[in-house]
Amino acid sequence: MTWNVPFMYETFLNTWKAVPTTLKLTFIPFLISVPFAFLLAMAQIKKVRFWSRFAQGYVSFVRGIPVVVLVLLFYNTLPGQLAAIFKFFGSSFNVYRQVPGITYAYFIFSLTAIAALTEIFRAALSAVDKGQLEAAYAIGLNAPQAYVRIIFPQAIAVAWPNLCNLLIMLVKNTSLAFMMTVKDITQTAKLGAALNYCYAEAYTVILIIYVIICLILEQIFRRTERYLNRHLVK
Amino acid sequence: MLTIRDVRKSFQENEVLKGVSIEVEKGDVVVILGPSGSGKTTLLRSINFLERADSGTLDWEDIHLDLKHASRKDVALIRKKTAFVFQNYNLFKNKTALENVMEGLTVARKVPKKEAEKIAKEALDKVGLSERYDYYPSQLSGGQQQRVGIARAVAVNPDIILFDEPTSALDPELVGEVLNVIKTLAKEGTTMIVVTHEIKFAQEVANKVVFMDGGFVVEEGSANEIFNHPKEERTQQFLRRILPDYDYAI
Ligand SMILES: Nc1ncnc2c1ncn2[C@@H]1O[C@H](COP(=O)(O)OP(=O)(O)O)[C@@H](O)[C@H]1O
Ligand SMILES: [Mg+2]
Repeated sequence: MTWNVPFMYETFLNTWKAVPTTLKLTFIPFLISVPFAFLLAMAQIKKVRFWSRFAQGYVSFVRGIPVVVLVLLFYNTLPGQLAAIFKFFGSSFNVYRQVPGITYAYFIFSLTAIAALTEIFRAALSAVDKGQLEAAYAIGLNAPQAYVRIIFPQAIAVAWPNLCNLLIMLVKNTSLAFMMTVKDITQTAKLGAALNYCYAEAYTVILIIYVIICLILEQIFRRTERYLNRHLVK
Repeated sequence: MLTIRDVRKSFQENEVLKGVSIEVEKGDVVVILGPSGSGKTTLLRSINFLERADSGTLDWEDIHLDLKHASRKDVALIRKKTAFVFQNYNLFKNKTALENVMEGLTVARKVPKKEAEKIAKEALDKVGLSERYDYYPSQLSGGQQQRVGIARAVAVNPDIILFDEPTSALDPELVGEVLNVIKTLAKEGTTMIVVTHEIKFAQEVANKVVFMDGGFVVEEGSANEIFNHPKEERTQQFLRRILPDYDYAI
């Protein structure tokens, strides 16, 4: 087999332009999931009635579903549901035309990110020694002060490596966005590959791009982790 | 000054405090003795509401509280009047020694930062840590950490300091430095309740000794009464066990 090197170079340039889309598909669901995951994790830590159970159930349930199944299910049913809702309220809004595929991608990836992040936050919060909170109360801090000033900073340091893992997982999940007609790097490569019958070349290029993105993320987290853990390691 | 009456506390089926009362006058050094599991820690924690007692009352000057139903405001008030020194220090791991001591001042008591820093430094100087302001807990020995813990308690100028076995987690060679700091505080007239197994220290500083066992106060009295003339069989047994060459007058 001979490798079409000029094609690879061209694919690299083309797909590189789609990197921002992949990053958006990673970070927007991540950012959306932060407040939800935080509340669900706190509900578990504080054993809030109903919500604690709900959080636990949500995590267990969503964690067990392959992302591709979520994509198949929601991408094929949600538009129809939405259209029906708009129609019911007499709106002329055309869901099929006016809601781009990436919106569904954000939604679906957020569902999985919330589940994973809830578990990360919960584990990090419960890893902080109970004595830290008691000491804070004992010197007169109220609960919000104690959490913001003492517990959260320590929990973030614990969660940091897992946040890196989560982001890497989210980056990889974005490769399913092509199923929703989103032009991310996978979709771009797929189109190029089919057009030129150069599958090996195109997919090797995006393999490299995914690895590069993940390596960069890893480096960022390694460096910041050292900073966060300066004093917390025993 | 402070009177705790008839404190009861159960963990599930396990009744840990079965009606404990204790009285503290200003300037008192009350030492609580007793075997492990007798409820000493739970009693101290009930006083500043780290543990919610099932029943009991607290009277402190013009404050009269039901320990079980005390409001959030009352709890905050009591916590501002007391300080707690933990067995395993519980210094804030994300803060330096100085920040640990300042936290209760700047955040809980709204002392201006400059002033808080001055008070905190004085407190650290007092416990012999003037060279360690900017060290994190992980960079300090156990004895140093506990001295920061004491400085953190002293800095907020509490009416009472509660010590829960302040030297139990320390290597033997570090116990002395911490006990010396507490002795100094005692001599200065700081009111305190100290749970400890350090009998010699107790004999030296206590003006009142409470012996607890099985969730009850078995016997209480002056240091001389408890150590030299214990009346109760259980007190005698306990003293014999922790002081092998113990010989009390009958
Ligand atoms: N949070 C808790 N949950 C359940 N049991 C507890 C808890 N805290 C203390 N206990 C139990 O209460 C009893 C008294 O404990 P404690 O007050 O720590 O005694 P001491 O300080 O005298 O050793 C022990 O049997 C202990 O196991
Ligand atoms: Mg104890």
